[in-house]
Amino acid sequence: MILYTTMPQELIFPTEESVFQKQNIVEINGVSVLVNEERPGEHYIVRILSSNPADYLNDQFSPGQKVTMMR
Amino acid sequence: MDIERYITNEKPNENEEKGNEAKGSGLIEKIQQLGQTNVPQMSNDSKIHCLTIVGQIEGHMQLPPQNKTTKYEHVIPQIVAIEQNPKIEGLLVILNTVGGDVEAGLAISEMLASLSKPTVSIVLGGGHSIGVPIAVSCNYSFVAETATMTIHPVRLTGLVIGVPQTFEYLDKMQDRVVNFVTKHSNITEDKFKELMFSKGNLTRDIGTNVVGADAVKYGLIDEVGGVGQAIKKLNDLIEERNSKEGQMLQ
Repeated sequence: MILYTTMPQELIFPTEESVFQKQNIVEINGVSVLVNEERPGEHYIVRILSSNPADYLNDQFSPGQKVTMMR
Repeated sequence: MDIERYITNEKPNENEEKGNEAKGSGLIEKIQQLGQTNVPQMSNDSKIHCLTIVGQIEGHMQLPPQNKTTKYEHVIPQIVAIEQNPKIEGLLVILNTVGGDVEAGLAISEMLASLSKPTVSIVLGGGHSIGVPIAVSCNYSFVAETATMTIHPVRLTGLVIGVPQTFEYLDKMQDRVVNFVTKHSNITEDKFKELMFSKGNLTRDIGTNVVGADAVKYGLIDEVGGVGQAIKKLNDLIEERNSKEGQMLQ
């Protein structure tokens, strides 16, 4: 299928709401990280949102690290 | 979301740490087992902070999660925190962006330009479209030899211009970008507009793809260089600022 249109792809094929809900921004020990829920209740770190370069060296926040949610 | 607390788990392959998952936070677990935490020593003392502008610059529309984006609602509080924290003396901005929302990009650029602390930017890979004003907003800018910056007119996807007013609005938006870039770099308005509207450089599109040394030649960027030179320049700027402040106190 070839589309010939000025419309952006997101408008033609809207992403499902559930895809957006899988990713969350949470704070771990004062550092904001982006987590992705791969299976229900299992969150993994995708990206660190920090301007402090030292946070990227902290193995606690390495991408792919599992995160457990506590209430 | 704020009320929920998140803690990290220990690595599952470490046998000695098994069976401790029910205990408090990951930090406390480490203290109980090893008697100390293994947080890097420099953690709170880093006087240079680093802002990475990667992927698309996201504005009012949230992009699907498979897109790598820089959200201005994340970046702006970070800039505010950097301005307020007396321990942070300088900011390094690393760009590898394809561009994005004009207003969000200009908002980040204005915040960086008004920062009272020394700022140095470095374009690695690409700093296209709205990445250009962000790159020039810092006190000093670097571009990697192979990095490129695409300069082209402002446009909207999915929009068919119906009334002349829409065109005028877009034109004004473009003027904001042109004015910002010419005000914060050594490029002239005529030269920047010439690059923006030139034909034949981007196959069938209008605009110019400026590579490393050319960006310096046009006066858009200050110097060709990498992270080493950028950190050195930032340290020089910090030193300069500190010596000036010392004089003022005397």
